[in-house]
Amino acid sequence: MKNKSGKIFNIQRFSVYDGPGIRTVVFFSGCNLNCLWCHNPESISNKQQLKFNSDQCILCGKCFDICKNKAHEFKESLHILDRDKCEVCLNCSKQCYAEALAPVYREINLTDLEKSLLTDEEYFRQSGGGVTFSGGEPMLQIDFLRDILEICKNHDIHTAIDTAGAVGFDAFEKIMPYCDLFLYDIKAYKNNIHKNLTGVSNKLILENLTRLSDTGGVNILVRIPVIPRANTDEMADIAEFLSKININKCEFMPYHKLGAGKYKPLGIANPDTANIFNTPDDNLINEIKDIFKRRNILC
Amino acid sequence: MLGLSQLNEEKIILSPLCAKRIKALHDDKQKINEEKIKALGSINIDDHGFVYFPDFKFTPTITRDYGKVTGMCEIGVNFRRFLNESPQYTNKNSALGGAWISYLANWVPMGIAPGDYPNDLKKIWDKYFITQPGFGAMNHCAGDIEIGLKLGWKGLLDKIRYYREFNNPSDTTFYDGEEELVTGIIEWVKKIADHAKKLAESEANQQDKNNLLEIAEMNYRLAEYPPSNMREACQFIAHFQSVDRMYFAGGALDQLDEKLRPYYEKDLKSGILTDEEAVWYIASLFFNDTHYSQIAGLTPDGSRDMTSRLSFIILDAMHYLKIPVNLAIRVHDNINKTLLRRSLEYMIEDGSGVCYSCNIGCEDGYAKNGFAPALGRMRAKVGCNWVAIPGREYPLQDVTRVNMAQAFVFALEDIENNKDYNLNILFDRFKYHLRIMIDSILAGFDRHFEVISRNTPEIVYNLFMHGPIERGLNCAEGGVDIMDLNIDGIALATVADSFAAIEQRIINEKKLTFEELFNVLDNNFEGKEDIRLMLKNIKRFGDPESLANSWAEKIRDEFVRLCRRNTPKYNIKTIPGMFSHGDIFSYGKNLQATPNGRFAGEPISHSNEPDPGFARGLDSFSPSLKATAVAKLQAGYGNSAPLHLDIDTNMLSANGGIDALISLIHTHNHMGGTLINMNCLSEQKLREAHEDPASHPDLVVRVTGYSAFFASLSKEYRQQIIDRFLSSKQVRL
Repeated sequence: MKNKSGKIFNIQRFSVYDGPGIRTVVFFSGCNLNCLWCHNPESISNKQQLKFNSDQCILCGKCFDICKNKAHEFKESLHILDRDKCEVCLNCSKQCYAEALAPVYREINLTDLEKSLLTDEEYFRQSGGGVTFSGGEPMLQIDFLRDILEICKNHDIHTAIDTAGAVGFDAFEKIMPYCDLFLYDIKAYKNNIHKNLTGVSNKLILENLTRLSDTGGVNILVRIPVIPRANTDEMADIAEFLSKININKCEFMPYHKLGAGKYKPLGIANPDTANIFNTPDDNLINEIKDIFKRRNILC
Repeated sequence: MLGLSQLNEEKIILSPLCAKRIKALHDDKQKINEEKIKALGSINIDDHGFVYFPDFKFTPTITRDYGKVTGMCEIGVNFRRFLNESPQYTNKNSALGGAWISYLANWVPMGIAPGDYPNDLKKIWDKYFITQPGFGAMNHCAGDIEIGLKLGWKGLLDKIRYYREFNNPSDTTFYDGEEELVTGIIEWVKKIADHAKKLAESEANQQDKNNLLEIAEMNYRLAEYPPSNMREACQFIAHFQSVDRMYFAGGALDQLDEKLRPYYEKDLKSGILTDEEAVWYIASLFFNDTHYSQIAGLTPDGSRDMTSRLSFIILDAMHYLKIPVNLAIRVHDNINKTLLRRSLEYMIEDGSGVCYSCNIGCEDGYAKNGFAPALGRMRAKVGCNWVAIPGREYPLQDVTRVNMAQAFVFALEDIENNKDYNLNILFDRFKYHLRIMIDSILAGFDRHFEVISRNTPEIVYNLFMHGPIERGLNCAEGGVDIMDLNIDGIALATVADSFAAIEQRIINEKKLTFEELFNVLDNNFEGKEDIRLMLKNIKRFGDPESLANSWAEKIRDEFVRLCRRNTPKYNIKTIPGMFSHGDIFSYGKNLQATPNGRFAGEPISHSNEPDPGFARGLDSFSPSLKATAVAKLQAGYGNSAPLHLDIDTNMLSANGGIDALISLIHTHNHMGGTLINMNCLSEQKLREAHEDPASHPDLVVRVTGYSAFFASLSKEYRQQIIDRFLSSKQVRL
C-alpha cells in the first residue's frame, strides 16, 4: 500500500490559516473547478506541466541540447520555450540546475509523505494542529487521500480536508472516518453565478454539504471567498442556505492577488478578471459577517 | 510575595508625566545615536548605551617598558583616573544619573605583555584564521548583582580591605588594584551627584529641577551607603553597568526581576512606590544601557516560575521605551502564559522585543557536563547568546570561534595535493585539521589561565563574584568555583552542504569529477555558473531527508567530541557551543569558494543554522523547518546556539498567529533548542530602511543575540537582516 503515490505540488508547514493550530498543508494537483480568481493555477490541471521561470535562467543552454523537439530556443538573447513543441517529458528540467525549468507536481509515495509529515509532529501536539489536505481538489485522488488520512490517524494526528465538494458523495464516505474537519468551500449559491465563476454547477456541491451536515459527528467549517464584483451579492443566499444545515462555523477568505505571478511560468496569460476583482476591505468583510451572524451562524 | 494566583498581570497605564518622560528618553536616545553614527560611522554591535563626547581625551599612566598597562595595580590606577576625568552626563527625564562615555581600552593600551603571549599558538591561529581563540578574552561572565546591592560601594571597599588584612598575602597587588577601582567609583558617583546638582541649579522647569535634585541626593547617598529602595537599586546597577562597559565592554547583568523584587515589594508596602514609577526606573535603566538580563524562568529547585509583578513591569518598560534592549525571557513549560503572550503582542507592535532562552536545552544540557540541574536553572541569559550563573561561573562564551569551513578547505587541499579522491579521506582530513584548531584553542585556554590575571584581570567582575575578594584571586584563575570554557564551532551548514554536494554530485550521480570540482573552486566558479548551481541546489541542511542533514550530525558530533576533552595542562572543563555572532562576513572574507556553491569571500553560514534558501522543491520555507534543524543540531551541553526568526507582521497578526508562535517556542524548547531571536517586520518597512536608514531611525531589530537600531548597522549587516527576512518569507497558497 505504501508504494501508492499521489501528485503533490507543495508541502507548506507552519500554516495558521487552514484549520486549528500549526498545520502542515499538503497541496494536491488537479481540480475540477476552474475559478476565475484561482491563485493556485498550477493546481488546476491533473496533467504534469512544465514551469518556466525565465528570471532564473542562466542561459547555460543544456535544455537546448537535450530537447528532442527543440522546444527551447535562443532568440534575441532570450530563452524562449515553445509550449506547442513541448511534450512535458521533463528531461530539460532534470538538467536545469538553475531550477528555471521544473515540473509542477511530484509523485510522492505514502511512505515518504508520512515521513515528511511526521517531522512537524511535535508542533502539532503543542499547538493542537495537524495536517490539512488541500489543492487543487484533494478528493480527486481519493484512494491516496484515504490512505494518507488513515496513516495520520494511526499517528493520532488531527486531519482536515479543504474541498470544493464537487465529487460523488461516496468519496466523502471513504474518508469520513479519518477526517476530523472539513474545510468546505462555497463560492456562490445561485447555480448560474456559480457556473459563470467556476465553470461547473454547484448542485452537487450543495447537496454534498447538506448530506455531510446531516451525518453525525462531522465537523464542518465552511469557507467562503469574498470577491467583490464576483460573489458578494451571493452572501445573503449563502447565509440563508447555511442557516438551515448543521455546520460548526463559517470563515471568509478575502480575495488576494498573490497568485498573479504564477500564471506566466505556466505559459498561461493572467486572467482578465485580475483587473476586475478587488481585495475587499475590512468594512465589507464585517458587513458580510453581520449577514451571517443575523442568521445565527458562527463566524 | 503575592501568590501566583493573585499575580497582577495588568498592563501599566502611564500618567501623562511618566509617558512624556519615557518618550523624551526614547527621543534623546535616537538623537544620541544619530550623533554617534555621524561621528563614528556604522556600529555593528549593540548600542551599549554610551554617550559620545567628541572632545574627551585621556592620557594613560604607563610604567611598563613594553608600553602596555597590565596587572591589577596599573589598571586600577588608570581606571580611577579615567573615572575622575570622564565628563558627566545626566538626562533630566531619567530617574537615574550618569552615563559612560568611552571604553577605557580606547585610551589605555591594555593587553597581554609580550612575554606572556603564546607565539607558538599564534602560528596555528594565523594559519587557520583563528581570530578569536579565547585566549586573552575578557568579561563574558556575569556578576551576582546582589553582592553589590547588599554592600554598596563603600561596603565593597570595606570588604576588600578586610580580606587583604585577613589573608595577608605577600603580594597585595590584587587588593590594591581593586581598592583603587572602588575608590575611583565612589569618587565618580559623587561627581555624578555634583553634576546633577549643578544641572538642577540652571533648570527652569520645577519638575525637572526636583528630579535632578533627587538624583543628586540619591548619588551622594550611594557613595556612602548601599541602596535602600528600588530607585537606588536601579541607580547602583546603572553604575555597575557603566563601569563594566568601560572595562572591555562588559554587559552582562543578572536575573533582573528577582534581584529587584525585594526592593520593589518593600517600597510598595511602605507606600513610596507606584507601578508606573517602577516602569520609569527600569526604562531609565535601559536608557543607560541595553543590559543583557533575564526575567522569568524556574527557581533553582525547579518548583516555581519566577514570573512576578516586576517581570511585567520590566517588559512594559522595554515596550514603552522602544529602544534596543537585550532582555530575555527564560521559557519553560509552566511559564506565566500572560507574560509570554504579552511579549509577543509587544513584538508585533514594536517589531522587536525580548528573546527567548529555552530551559530544557540550556539546563538539561548543562547538567550533562556533570553539574547539578539546579545550577543549570541558575544560569541566566546574560549575553548575545550566552548564559552564566551570575557570580559563580567563569564560562568565557562567545569569544572563541572555530571556523569549521577553514578545516574543510584545508582538507580539500590535502586530497587535491595527494590525489586522494575519496570522500572518507576528505572527512578524515577535515577531522585532522579540526583537531589542530581545537587543540590550539585548548592549549590557549591553559595559557590564558596562567597569564590573564597578571595582564588583564577581571577587575570589575571580581567585585560581584563569590570568591575572588575572599580568596584574593582573579575570577579567571580560580577566584570562582566553576570554570567551564566554551568553544564555538561555526559554519556548520557551509561544511555540511559542501560534503553533501560532493557525495551527491561526484560520488552518487557522477555528474562531476573531483578534478573538475577543484578546477571550478580554484577559479571561483568563473564561467561555470551551471556547475555552481548544480552543487548548490541539492537538498541542503535543514531538509529533514537530506544527505546534508546527516553530514551536519556527523560534523557536529566530531566537533563536540573534540571540544569535550578539557584543557591538556590544567584539565579545565571545556564545553562545545555553536555561535557565530554576526561574524559570518569576516570569517568568509578570506575563505576560498566552497562546494556548496558559495563564492570565495562570501559569508559563511550562521552558527548551526541552515543557509537562507535551504527549503526548496516540494517543501517551501517554514519557521518550523528551520527551528527543527537548529534544535536538533545543537552542541547539546547547555550553551546556546540561537534560532533566528524574522516573522512577517501579517503572519503574526493573523488569527492564531501568536498562538502558533507560542507553540513554536515551546516545541523548540522541547526539541532541545536553546535560544530564539525574533523580529517581526514588514518587507516594505525593511526595504525602505535599507535604502535610506534615516527614513526609519527608530527601527529596532534583533541582529543575532543583541538588539540594535537598524540605522546604526553597516550596509552588509543590514543586508544580512534583509536576506534572512526574504528567505524566510512564507508564501501563502
